Amino acid sequence: MANDAFSAQVAAKWQEAFQRLNREAPGVSGLISFSQAWNLITEVLRPKDLRDPVEAQKRQQFSPADVRLALNVMVESRRLPPLLEIFIEGIRKSFPIITGEISLFMQEYENTHDPVTIQKLVFRVLHWYKGWSPPTELGQGVINAFTLSFQTHLFAALPPTFASAFKALCAATLTPAPLSTPSTPSTSTSTPQQAISAQSSIPNSPALWDAFSQLGFIDRYESIVASVGYECIEEHVQSTCKGRWDKPVIEELRAWMAGRVVPWMVVIYARGAASPEEARTMLQGVGSRFDFHINKTLCDLRTSEIFDIIIDFPDSMGALQDLKECLQRVDQRTSLVTSLRKANQKRLLHPGAATKLILSQYVSTIKCLRIVDPPGVLLYKVADPIRRYLRSRPDTIRAIVSNLVGPAAGGDDDDEEDEDPLVDENEPIVPLHQPDQEDLTDPNWDPEPVDAGPEFRTNKPSDIISTLVSIYDSKDLFVKELQVLLAQRLLSIKEDTNGFERVEKERRNIEILKIRFGEAALQVCEVMLKDMSDSKRIDSHIQAQHTSVVHPTIISRHFWPTLESSTITMPGQFQEMQERYAREFTVFKPDKKLKWLPHLGTVHLELHLEDRTVDADVPPLEAAFIELFSQKQTWSLDELIADVGGIDRSAALKALLTWVDLGVLKEDEENMFRLLEFEEDEGERIIRDPKNVPTAPDVPPPTTAQQQQAEQMRVYWNFIQGMLTNFGSLPIDRIQTMLKFAPGYDQRVDQLATFLEAARREGLVTSMDGVWRLNR
Amino acid sequence: MEQLTSSLAPRATSQKSSVAASSQQGAGSVAKRLSSELMTLMMSSSPGISAFPRNESNLFEWIGTIEGPNETIYAGLNFKISISFPSNYPYVAPTIKFDTPCYHPNVDITSGAICLDILQDKWSAVYSVQTILLSLQSLLGEPNNASPLNPDAAALWATPDAFKAQLTKHYRPIQDTA
Repeated sequence: MANDAFSAQVAAKWQEAFQRLNREAPGVSGLISFSQAWNLITEVLRPKDLRDPVEAQKRQQFSPADVRLALNVMVESRRLPPLLEIFIEGIRKSFPIITGEISLFMQEYENTHDPVTIQKLVFRVLHWYKGWSPPTELGQGVINAFTLSFQTHLFAALPPTFASAFKALCAATLTPAPLSTPSTPSTSTSTPQQAISAQSSIPNSPALWDAFSQLGFIDRYESIVASVGYECIEEHVQSTCKGRWDKPVIEELRAWMAGRVVPWMVVIYARGAASPEEARTMLQGVGSRFDFHINKTLCDLRTSEIFDIIIDFPDSMGALQDLKECLQRVDQRTSLVTSLRKANQKRLLHPGAATKLILSQYVSTIKCLRIVDPPGVLLYKVADPIRRYLRSRPDTIRAIVSNLVGPAAGGDDDDEEDEDPLVDENEPIVPLHQPDQEDLTDPNWDPEPVDAGPEFRTNKPSDIISTLVSIYDSKDLFVKELQVLLAQRLLSIKEDTNGFERVEKERRNIEILKIRFGEAALQVCEVMLKDMSDSKRIDSHIQAQHTSVVHPTIISRHFWPTLESSTITMPGQFQEMQERYAREFTVFKPDKKLKWLPHLGTVHLELHLEDRTVDADVPPLEAAFIELFSQKQTWSLDELIADVGGIDRSAALKALLTWVDLGVLKEDEENMFRLLEFEEDEGERIIRDPKNVPTAPDVPPPTTAQQQQAEQMRVYWNFIQGMLTNFGSLPIDRIQTMLKFAPGYDQRVDQLATFLEAARREGLVTSMDGVWRLNR
Repeated sequence: MEQLTSSLAPRATSQKSSVAASSQQGAGSVAKRLSSELMTLMMSSSPGISAFPRNESNLFEWIGTIEGPNETIYAGLNFKISISFPSNYPYVAPTIKFDTPCYHPNVDITSGAICLDILQDKWSAVYSVQTILLSLQSLLGEPNNASPLNPDAAALWATPDAFKAQLTKHYRPIQDTA
């Protein structure tokens, strides 16, 4: 039950409220006018159903003066906050109408995927927004409150698919122009009209973007708008630049950007610009973001293509220039390195790739990365795995050396001739670059790039050969291999061909190589060449004394790589000829003695058989066999081997088959060969083109550098044996220091330890308390 | 070989005269010769003989090992010798002595000095460590009893059992010298 105090309080409140609404007007006239004003203004503000034309018209019926008057009443009686509340509540209640429309539009879009639907939607929502927005007389506060509330409801009402639909709409405003990119780079000040004139499925009109802006889409979907631009760039870069490496494209891309993307950007980001200058200022930030994106996209593209770019070098110069420029803006060096290393690992450094191929790709890599990154940090990082891999290949040295020397003259090395030399012929011949100390007084010194690893050494641009040779720790291996190769080449020179020219050619090669490797290193090669010319001289002298069909190449055993020796004895006339020649030689050079290597060389034979003459150039073994057949008609394989001596069965069989192929011998039963004095019916025998008959001399097999290394280890072992014999036992340090007596000893203590350990496993030495002794 | 030595002879004399003046240069070429001899010795697998520089800094002092040849009275015994090369080697013979006491007609039992013609007047520059060692090895089996350093041993040579007893009495097995 209300007591008096309560009644009094209610009365006071009521009085106060009445006072406020009546505004000290006489009687209740103030109250009445307030009531009218309230009705008016709530009617104005009531969200109308715009679908109803009558309703939609209503808004226009109110005169602005009336509204302003009513507003004043509201302000005076401090009723604005409740009014606003009612207004917002009204929006909330009416919003399902819009939601319904939105879902209709979205459904249509789901069906058609036509961005025009979304455009319609946007304009429709804008229509609602404008229809419901309070009159400006209500002040900015009310309008802001309305916008916020409207947007809140709107965003709540938009389905999740709207984001992608919106993106489609944005993209539609930037669809590629049907014409190719304008060739003249237009500036960023090009007007929005130009952009509209660029044909697109949806005109990129400022009105649309105004609508977006008013509905708060630009703020909300800013990243989507930007991504449309980015995707457009990416797509363009992908479609126009992929696989085009011949010339730099970055300028072209910028021109395209200016003609295509910039006008679009102007509409979005510089809508309100009054002057070109203002527009430029407004575009600055976003413009450089887009430019960066071009760089990044191009960089990513080239990074993914880098392996093929290197393969294409030097036709891919343009791409490399681009990459260089991009890398300066974009920090993608690490990803470039990673990508290239990965590609190398996958495509290059596997057993399926020929060493020659790896080498030439390595050389291209060097050249390419020097263009991209002159200090060589990238190269260092990429090259390391390649170099390590090459080191593990047994034939790397051989491949490098044969490249150094160039293709062998004459036709017997067909496979070498059509290959590109690794070394550019124009590259000046310089002495091998020695890894030297940093020059501390260099006034042009630059610090190492930041991403250089601790073991990175600024290598001054050295030539390719130095780089290749530096794969290995010492150049001795190369020199040795070079000797082997030279030996092979020299020994394969035949008397009848233009032998002299070929020797001269080799001599020229060696002279060039001397500049690189130094005079001293190639002294041995010099001796070998001298042997060649000496042989010729000696031969002509001996021929003058006593004509012989034997034309030996006389080599100085100590200076030539170890040639595989052979114990075959040439039968019959061959031996006679050899002996006669040797006698003449001894007369000419009394202090020297000829030691024949009868298995090397070629023999030109003319076989006079009963019904025909066979002409052939064959290796000596073949000649030896056929000589034996002049003694009797039929020989077994074992007899033949026993007579010639010191050959294995496969070599013997191969030699015999040469004659079988030539139709001179026939294998009647297994391992029994018979001379065909009369040519037999061809039968099942396959006639070969005489040229294909393997008459080419076997390449004399000098020992390779690897074998020589094993030989070196044998030398060291002899020394170790020698010192342990004399000293009884030695600690490893002493062994290491004493081994300096062994010529060319270059192993480290740990390598020696490994070696000794291996010897211990073989039972050759024992170790106790750190001292080693021979195991007797 | 005759030809070689004769061609070397004139140079040898001139070398000798200039050796004092340019001992430094001489030492270099001697060291070269010694290291090549070492190499040859190491690579030739002559059984029972071996030698090696005593330490890594001096190529002129070597230590050698000779195994008594089979089927001689010295079979199974190992003898250490020390070889000292003069600075004008190979024009002057190296000084060689037995470190292991060696009871032998041509070896001084106490000093280890050796009486061998090629180490004295018959020395020639074509000889090498290897030839010396081989000569010494064969000297063990075939002593020159005509000019003995150890007359007792020379006297006993004819009676192998007595000789063997003396030999084993004096022989001390090799100790590690490292």
